[in-house]
Amino acid sequence: MATPSNGQLSASFRDPSGFLFSRNGILYRQINRAYAEDYARLMDSGLYEKLVKANLLIPHVEVDQAAADVKREAAFKIIQPERAPFISYPYEWSFSQLKDAALATLSIHKRALKLGMSLKDASAYNIQFVRGKAMLIDTLSFEIYKEGEPWTAYKQFCQHFLAPLALMSYRDIRLSQLLRVYIDGVPLDLASALLPFKTKFNFGLLTHIHIHAGSQKRYSDKAVEQPRKGSMSQQAMIGLIENLESTVKKLSWTPAGTEWGAYYDATNYSDAAFEHKKQLVHEWTVEKKPALVWDLGGNTGVFSREAAASGAFTVSFDIDPAAVEQNYQVVKKNKEQNLLPLVLDLTNPSPAIGWDHVERDSFGQRGPADMALALAVIHHLAISNNVPLAQLAQFFAARAKWLVIEFVPKSDSQVKRLLASRKDIFPDYSKDGFEAAFKEYFKIHKVEAVKDSERHLYLMECVSGK
Amino acid sequence: MHFSPLPYLDPGSGSLIIQIVIAALLGLGVALRASWGSIKKMFGVKPKVEDDDTDGDSK
Repeated sequence: MATPSNGQLSASFRDPSGFLFSRNGILYRQINRAYAEDYARLMDSGLYEKLVKANLLIPHVEVDQAAADVKREAAFKIIQPERAPFISYPYEWSFSQLKDAALATLSIHKRALKLGMSLKDASAYNIQFVRGKAMLIDTLSFEIYKEGEPWTAYKQFCQHFLAPLALMSYRDIRLSQLLRVYIDGVPLDLASALLPFKTKFNFGLLTHIHIHAGSQKRYSDKAVEQPRKGSMSQQAMIGLIENLESTVKKLSWTPAGTEWGAYYDATNYSDAAFEHKKQLVHEWTVEKKPALVWDLGGNTGVFSREAAASGAFTVSFDIDPAAVEQNYQVVKKNKEQNLLPLVLDLTNPSPAIGWDHVERDSFGQRGPADMALALAVIHHLAISNNVPLAQLAQFFAARAKWLVIEFVPKSDSQVKRLLASRKDIFPDYSKDGFEAAFKEYFKIHKVEAVKDSERHLYLMECVSGK
Repeated sequence: MHFSPLPYLDPGSGSLIIQIVIAALLGLGVALRASWGSIKKMFGVKPKVEDDDTDGDSK
């Protein structure tokens, strides 16, 4: 994230309660005086402890640091939250990741209500996956609940969570990408127009999306008096939250057209080649001890898990939402804490978005990693996407210090398949051409012929200044 | 009397109004459930204990 001179991070400029800042590489959050009372209630009511124990809120410690605002008048306290190992965004999450983030948000709000507080915003960007769990990372999202007040974040919850989940479930999984266009969530009139008619027979979707969208339209150009105090009882609030919860829980998505667990069957790997690759990734990650690994084209995460087993926090990116969904299900089942599956199209990765392009970082800005894995991916980039080898080398050099990359030659059946329907305009695409291009940026430490295949696996170190 | 202080997020007029209407309806459900629970209790049926320490994951 871009940082002005005082280190304030640009993603947190909206909230008057406080802001994030970075000092000497450590992340802090300034709490302003305006938020003192709410913060005290969060800590004293037992809510903080309860949420941290349930893995729903990021833990923090209060620290003795100078305030970061220029006048230093606003500051009440400085806290140091645990740092999420990798910041991801809702348009990079699989269906179940977004669903778990939605349920975590509702669960937090419900628990807060029991202790006299309320969640004042329901932004999907406030949730991050830490130790395998969807967790709130904004400690300042709570306010003292006043009986009778409606939920300020209702609209935001519907736009950030309910609308995209319903669209992904009822229309098309790829509609998650609308979140990349609409930073404050999918507009409800758009969701209402895109959802199939049958969703009007689902009480939750009928009310929270279709009728909600109609009401927004009806009052959009009218100045409406703020509702009177006491207009919504706590009982009504609980009814609303529980209904949102059951509506979200009922939404599901099962990948169609993809055989779960059969991803590798369609490739030409023999068991020996597959095991050999796993063994090499394991050996090289253990040897180089990277703290952060990016598996680019990680599929369902088989090789990511070899890297994660070495102790590295591993982000497993793949373009296929079905593979990422399956990967996430394994993370949950095995309670894996250092593996994060994400949806990413390497040929068009997440851009920097939001106000002045500084609210959400691009994929590249969130690097570099210590090590990148690029297994069985180069032929897709070089041949299907026409990227010259020199530019691929440059791309990987900017991503990580260490690179484990597999070269798949033209004689490989997968490449033959890619070339079957098109003209071969890639005279340089050979083992020699590949090595020559990558030597411009990397020192090749190891080359291993993958057993029982025509492929080679390389361990390279980036030596060029980026 | 208006709410004070005003929230920093704009909750949206249309969203607030429909929320109050929907919630009033759903609140009735909660009230009915609670009274049904106390009727059952009179007949010795134990109420379900709400699991409060699990996380928000979907199952």
